[in-house]
Amino acid sequence: MGEKDRMDELERRLRAKIPGQDTGIEVRKSICAICDPTTQCGLDLSVRDGRIIKVEGSQENPHNAGTLCSKGAATRQYVYHEDRLRTPLKRIGPRGSGEFAAISWDEALDTVVANLRRLGAESGPESVVFYVGYPKQPRPFVQRLALQFGSPNFCTESSTCFTATAMAFKLVYGQMAGPDLARARCLLVWSANPFYSNTTAARHLFDAIDRGMKLIAVDPRLTPLASRADIHLQLKPGTDGALALGMAHVIIAEDLYDREFVAAHTHGFAEFRDYVAGFDPARAAQITGVPAEKIRAAARLYATAKPAALMPSAAPVGHNTNGVQNYRAVFSLIGLTGNFDVSGGNMVAPFSWLEISGAGFTTRQHEFEMPKGWADLPPRVGAARFPVWAELVDQAQAMDLPRQIRSADPYPLRGLMAFGLNHRMFPGSAGFLEAIRDLEFICDVDLFATDSARYADIVLPACSSVERSELRCYPEKYVALSQPAIAPLGESRSDTDIVFELARRLELDDPLLNPSPGGVVEPDAAFEAAMDWILEPSGMTVAQLKQHPGGMPVADPLPNPERKYRAAGFPTPTGKMEFASSLLAKHGAVLTIDALPTYRPPRHSLEASPGLAADYPFILNTGSRLPMFVHSRTYRLAWTRSLRPRPAADLNPADAARLGIRHGDEIELATPSGAIRVLANLTELGQPGVVHMYHGHAEADVNLLFDPDYLDPISGFPGFKALLCSVRRVERPPLEEGPRDADLARASGEADR
Amino acid sequence: MSHSFHLDVDRCTGCFACAVACMDQNDLETGDEPTAWRQVFTVETGTFPDAHLRYVSLACMHCEDAPCLLACPTGAIHREAGTQVVGIDADLCIGCHSCSIACPFGVPRFGADGKMQKCDLCSERLTYGLEPACVRVCPTRALRQGSPNELSQSVERRVAERLAGES
Repeated sequence: MGEKDRMDELERRLRAKIPGQDTGIEVRKSICAICDPTTQCGLDLSVRDGRIIKVEGSQENPHNAGTLCSKGAATRQYVYHEDRLRTPLKRIGPRGSGEFAAISWDEALDTVVANLRRLGAESGPESVVFYVGYPKQPRPFVQRLALQFGSPNFCTESSTCFTATAMAFKLVYGQMAGPDLARARCLLVWSANPFYSNTTAARHLFDAIDRGMKLIAVDPRLTPLASRADIHLQLKPGTDGALALGMAHVIIAEDLYDREFVAAHTHGFAEFRDYVAGFDPARAAQITGVPAEKIRAAARLYATAKPAALMPSAAPVGHNTNGVQNYRAVFSLIGLTGNFDVSGGNMVAPFSWLEISGAGFTTRQHEFEMPKGWADLPPRVGAARFPVWAELVDQAQAMDLPRQIRSADPYPLRGLMAFGLNHRMFPGSAGFLEAIRDLEFICDVDLFATDSARYADIVLPACSSVERSELRCYPEKYVALSQPAIAPLGESRSDTDIVFELARRLELDDPLLNPSPGGVVEPDAAFEAAMDWILEPSGMTVAQLKQHPGGMPVADPLPNPERKYRAAGFPTPTGKMEFASSLLAKHGAVLTIDALPTYRPPRHSLEASPGLAADYPFILNTGSRLPMFVHSRTYRLAWTRSLRPRPAADLNPADAARLGIRHGDEIELATPSGAIRVLANLTELGQPGVVHMYHGHAEADVNLLFDPDYLDPISGFPGFKALLCSVRRVERPPLEEGPRDADLARASGEADR
Repeated sequence: MSHSFHLDVDRCTGCFACAVACMDQNDLETGDEPTAWRQVFTVETGTFPDAHLRYVSLACMHCEDAPCLLACPTGAIHREAGTQVVGIDADLCIGCHSCSIACPFGVPRFGADGKMQKCDLCSERLTYGLEPACVRVCPTRALRQGSPNELSQSVERRVAERLAGES
């Protein structure tokens, strides 16, 4: 081979990004944290000259087995985006103006610490709210920081996501139980589309279908999952409770329930049976819009195809003003049919780390994040308004923040220490910004110069998951403590480094957050020491995990036998599965809620508010996942954005024809709270009478259409999945994009250069 | 031996992972026009409540008797030795669009420089035993690559298993 041929070949290999010594391309392991911990895939990053040039799913990680989703595949644009913050910033203009100046880390952290101390001394540490959005990784560390600082007000984005599902499970069973997909003969997927929200489950779902597993999909939309189901129950949004009660009616009336389990292990069955007697399939059909025959067929299939598993979703059912009650009705079906804690049904697995159960080991996460009890602290934000939440959830309920900031009831809130603040997760998002405008001090730690960060006094640059270390575990009995694949961009730091730095400067008396008071322990070393303490029950150490940056199988994973309730009972007040909840009975009088999982239509619906429905005749369903976006995290990436360039609402062609709307027309969605303009995406994905809109768009924020008090009284969750709205075609040309985040990023980037 | 893609349409969920992995592998610029080398389509039939949705991911088919190759007046489109992939040499492309007219699948795209660009089946990766980026990323394993006969054989095996399971 001649010299020229060799150069041509090297050029081709470089262009194809083939790893090797001659190309200088090295594959480094990391973890994607663009979406939730239940998915977070192992990454193989091709790195050349310290820069990522390509990303692939890691084949050795059994959770994603070499695959990724469209968001993870865009990691490179996520990591190197021009909106990345590169230095700490100090606000120099009015809140929201976006006028910032770059400052040093020392000045930034000193400013934060001085303000936290001042507010703590003047109004008590509870006047400072600690908040974590995405990613979830720093949660245990920020929670410990908050409690050791003396504030009970640790809250997260889980004030609108997932927690309502966990609460419903806990009210019925005292614990959660996940679907055992590998052994199920029937899978009942309740309003989830894992093909877009949890792509690591996708190949397993198809494998199960191929081996003959029956699939029932409950979903208002004809999703790719629903389109493959044996039975698709296409209900009206927000009527999940009525559908579940209708199925329970069939299962009990046709004597298909597990009499032995119900007799020995449940509480309140007689009342439940009497209540569901009122939900015969005809009535359930009338409420839900699902034909009675389909309700019967689904109930029979789920009850008789033993074992059958139920796959819930993180939020859709809970995003309803009757969300927890609706989900309790759904989850009651598991015990009713004897599918609780059985192989192939829904199994209880020991908790491991950060939302993941069943990784085969346990940790001291709970002990770490709860160094004090709630009884030793002032009441949390939302505790009086959402007492059931306060009993079941070890966090404050952030939905009550705007009210308490304005009213100072029961005490004033003056400061906010946030990691990944996003006002667009709040119903009435503009009102949330108005509320925090009045706070005396705000610090936001973020990857990007976001619209929310504009309201902060100090903005600190966080690094992404590929620039730091974190512990991640998987139900495949696999665990990884990732190591930085590239150096942090600019002066950015990991969220946990920032927590340990704050703890040191606050001189907290806590050997786990502040291991050498007055000393100079590097944050990395403090993080690893804390992880070793947390990992103690697992028998694993940081040193051991660091040898396997791509992860390793858990040695001797904990066994997980079936039907643990037979020996241990259920961790509920009665020790049994509760068809009628003791806890809700206790709070029922104050909240006007029932011990039984009663059905109530969405507060804004044709049934509950016919006057409103006359002016706002469409059901507005928001936030159902699109494949290329996860909350607001990938809108700014050119690759994912190119797949759906402008905010668009899904509208059924029959409705569109009636309103004279064509595909791609600009339309206005309006409620009494506000209006937004978007493009019309005509699709049979949605049923007639329902409009679907994805959330978190800066140009068309659908949460502006919600009243901040449109909440479930049990969980405090917003009714994001069932509101009423009007739809009309707009003649005028599309709105120009408003001023965006780029100037903030530019200020930070210039300082970096 | 020729190489080709196979898409199991029953397993395609329209998740776009293949499209973005292709952008990452090939450093594609995306703008207002659909210039990506792999495109994902939603195909809807029927109306509520009897509507059906299917998703199809498409890129260059690397045809055995490629019409684009025959239509190309400059020889820019060629068949690569070894992998038998239908390749494009940008230096020779004059941007005449003859390939667009000839291609029955609508594959050719034209970038800002006016020259044709399309999927090369990650032929350099194939040489090193690596799957094309779109195949590697696919979360449902709907998209695969190999020799047409081997791909057909694996599809046939799954049909056989399904038939045996239903008996």
